[in-house]
Amino acid sequence: MPAQQVVYVERGALLQEAIEAAGIPLALPCGGQGRCGRCIVVVQEGQVRRRSVARLTPQEVEQGYALACQTLVEGDLVVYVPPQEERIVRLEVGLAAEKEAPEVVVCEHEQAPWVAKCHLKVDPPSLADNTTDFERLQRELVRQHGITGLVASLPIMRKLAGALRAEDWEVTAVVEKGTWASSQGPPRLVDIRPGDTTEHTLGLAIDIGTTTNVVYLVDLQSKALLGRASAYNGQISCGEDVISRIIYSQRPGGLEHLQQLVLNTLNGLIDELLAAHGASPEDVYFATVAGNPTMIHLFLGLDPRHIRLEPHIPTVNHPPPVRAGELGLRIHPEATVDCLPGVGAYVGADITAGVLRSRMSEEEPITLFIDVGTNGELVLGNKDWLISCACSAGPAFEGSGVVSGMRATVGAIQEVWINPQTFEPTYETIGNAPPKGICGSGMISLLGEMFITGVIDKSGHVNRSLDTPRVREGPGGGEYVVAWAAETEDKKRDIVLTEVDIQNLLRAKAAIYAGMNVLATSVGLELEDIERILIGGAFGKYIDIEKAIEIGLLPDMPWDRFAYLGNTSVQGAYLCLLCPEHRAMVREIASKMTYLELSADNSFMNAFTSALFLPHTDLEQFPSVREKLRNVERLGGS
Amino acid sequence: MAASVPSVQEKWTGKVREVTLGALPADGGTRGRTVTVGGENTLPFLHFEGEVPHRPAIAIEIWDHPPEDWSPILLEAWGDVLQDVGAWAKKAEEVGADLIALTLDSAHPEKGNTSGEQARATVRKVLEATTLPLIVYGPGQVDKDNEVLVAVAEEAAGERVALGNCEEGNYRTIVAAALAHGHLVIGKTPIDVNLAKQLNILISDMRLDLDRILMDPTTGALGYGLEYTYSVMERLKLAALMGDSMTQQPMIVTTGFEAWRAKEARVNEGVPAEWGDWTKRSLLWETITTMALLEAGANIVVMRHPEAVKKIRQVIDKLMTKA
Repeated sequence: MPAQQVVYVERGALLQEAIEAAGIPLALPCGGQGRCGRCIVVVQEGQVRRRSVARLTPQEVEQGYALACQTLVEGDLVVYVPPQEERIVRLEVGLAAEKEAPEVVVCEHEQAPWVAKCHLKVDPPSLADNTTDFERLQRELVRQHGITGLVASLPIMRKLAGALRAEDWEVTAVVEKGTWASSQGPPRLVDIRPGDTTEHTLGLAIDIGTTTNVVYLVDLQSKALLGRASAYNGQISCGEDVISRIIYSQRPGGLEHLQQLVLNTLNGLIDELLAAHGASPEDVYFATVAGNPTMIHLFLGLDPRHIRLEPHIPTVNHPPPVRAGELGLRIHPEATVDCLPGVGAYVGADITAGVLRSRMSEEEPITLFIDVGTNGELVLGNKDWLISCACSAGPAFEGSGVVSGMRATVGAIQEVWINPQTFEPTYETIGNAPPKGICGSGMISLLGEMFITGVIDKSGHVNRSLDTPRVREGPGGGEYVVAWAAETEDKKRDIVLTEVDIQNLLRAKAAIYAGMNVLATSVGLELEDIERILIGGAFGKYIDIEKAIEIGLLPDMPWDRFAYLGNTSVQGAYLCLLCPEHRAMVREIASKMTYLELSADNSFMNAFTSALFLPHTDLEQFPSVREKLRNVERLGGS
Repeated sequence: MAASVPSVQEKWTGKVREVTLGALPADGGTRGRTVTVGGENTLPFLHFEGEVPHRPAIAIEIWDHPPEDWSPILLEAWGDVLQDVGAWAKKAEEVGADLIALTLDSAHPEKGNTSGEQARATVRKVLEATTLPLIVYGPGQVDKDNEVLVAVAEEAAGERVALGNCEEGNYRTIVAAALAHGHLVIGKTPIDVNLAKQLNILISDMRLDLDRILMDPTTGALGYGLEYTYSVMERLKLAALMGDSMTQQPMIVTTGFEAWRAKEARVNEGVPAEWGDWTKRSLLWETITTMALLEAGANIVVMRHPEAVKKIRQVIDKLMTKA
């Protein structure tokens, strides 16, 4: 703790001035407007007047907490100025607007995964006991593990004689008890290995997003998540959204090329994860895959053209389990690749998996689940009913199609504050590394700040008349510089947000907000009737609900009604990988979900254009933002 | 047995904002009269239901240089005055204009690229030639619009000229000029209720009073999407009457421009004989387009042909007569 200091200021001065006079560094990212809560201090003795208590609970005020930039000195005081780190920690823990996502939820069911390893000591054959190798194995499996009726494919059968004899009749049998399509078995021998190899029994949960692919490496015995890896989908070079991918697939060789690209991406991620854990592809015996219908079609090499054409019919909503070997996924060739079920042409397994993960279909409250991906999908309902829709949001929130965009990895700017007088930004990156670009949560934060401080107008156009080098004319119109090249990781290019980026972001947020409105209206509900909103997507570690409301991505509701769940698609796949019961539940979800086609009438277009504004054409729907704009005006921002 | 007819009257909570163009000498201008539009609290001309305090106004469009691409029918109707913007303004006043809508077409980079100074001289000349309030349009190219409209705003300071067009991507300079010199602006948006409302919000966010904003919802001529623009205008009017403050701006529509670029008005070669007389057809095209949009709720119609203006004046007289 820094030494005690005594300073003198005039009565009526701001606490912030006193702290400056004491030479204690105090960051004011929001320009001393009481917006960001970063200058929190504790008044231990004496009288102060708080102009604003934004971000402080009544209990905290009671305990003496105050914002240095909003608090006037009214007499002699004793003030504790916490070190910077402590202030940040407090915000991360206490600030209700910033919702952090868990990586996985733990499955509470008792069931074991489909695949298990069975360590066996087999009685060697003799002239008196001349049962065949396979029947001998079957016999021991019944006796030692209660597994009856084992079947095996020819490639595994060929390994059997050698494997049994290599370690003196001690083997490890990898047995798949069944799949969703044959839950009563018969059990299948996936592999047979000499000796005891039970330490590695691995599975994969995979999310094939249009923009981002994610792989979880999971230990099927301990159910532990061993590692995660993500990368942009290699198909991006053939089109940014599902429609352009479908069009590409119609070229000669296009479908095969797209399938190969996504396999390359996934295989790269799998190699990376296995290398990090000293495991080999042969140790991975099961993969559960979620993704939108087009991505699943391309992954399986199914022609997706009829998804695009009216009346939008996929080849299959619930593909049968396939072998990794026939698909080209670089894990054990006999491993099952299980694609989760979809609902229709534009609501796929990523959504059913997300709903499973969110648990909304098991509970009473009316819940809206939003998956913000390249396609924004929305599901409204509870344990009794589910209705869904899909709206094309574009890849902007995943960092694609935005000049300085990136995925939420180390070096991504994830939070920004802008000083409304100087227009200078303060930002925070993932891992506190030098900035490389801006991820989804950073874009929401940046867009909200640019709007509130008047860097852009309500239609997203940059105000070029501002007196700051941060605002300038770029190659494609106005732009705002978040970080100068010298601050960045490679020191090569300024990190900017351009007007074109902003329009992409506005379209993305408008599509999602409009979808919410239309979906709620379709079942006779108002947005206020929704008891909680669960958000999935690849924004980053967290989403700032306050900023998301500011830009009109989320409805203006109390912050405690929101929760951010992270990548719900891969988390749902993870649950299904580990638990046959969850696998059955996702099938149930898919079968009971109703699909609302937004293009059926013009109500979506109308809702979309009215949402294509900051925060919305109808400001009445965003009372907290209206209030904030008034405050900024009052405090002399532009 | 006495039959009773249920009342069909609606009680609206909102009304269209009143906007006044032009300023008298007492108010810092030099106009001989002002024109106020808007103020109605009912759908167009439903006198039995509410108040329609002001007639729709007719603006006649004049150009700062002879329009090369105008129909020969229009050129013939105006004759020599096309050569002189002052004379044209005077003639327009004589044939029944309420407002003069001056287009600074010569400032377009491809049509003369004349300067702000030239625009000053032109607007000065028109102000001296007529006592009617003015609307001034730039050439429709962003940079030149800003250049000449700023010059016009300074030159005509205090005259409550309507400057146009502001668009979503280019409104700041024009609004700032209107703010600085006491004018009005016209916001133009492409046939969409939300976009019209959004531009009104953007303009008023710059602190221009709402009684200085006109909105042009963009229209089409008869046969060219008229019914679509009609319904957008009607929806805007309904929203205004229902109390949505940001849709309560009076509407200005450029029916002369739209009608005269329709094929039926523009050409006579290779058209079916049943189309009839070219001149009559062209005049009808402008008249009917204008009439329809008056019924849709237009508060200012910007027209081109003197005969069509005469007909529309009669139409407005009748529509404004209470039964």
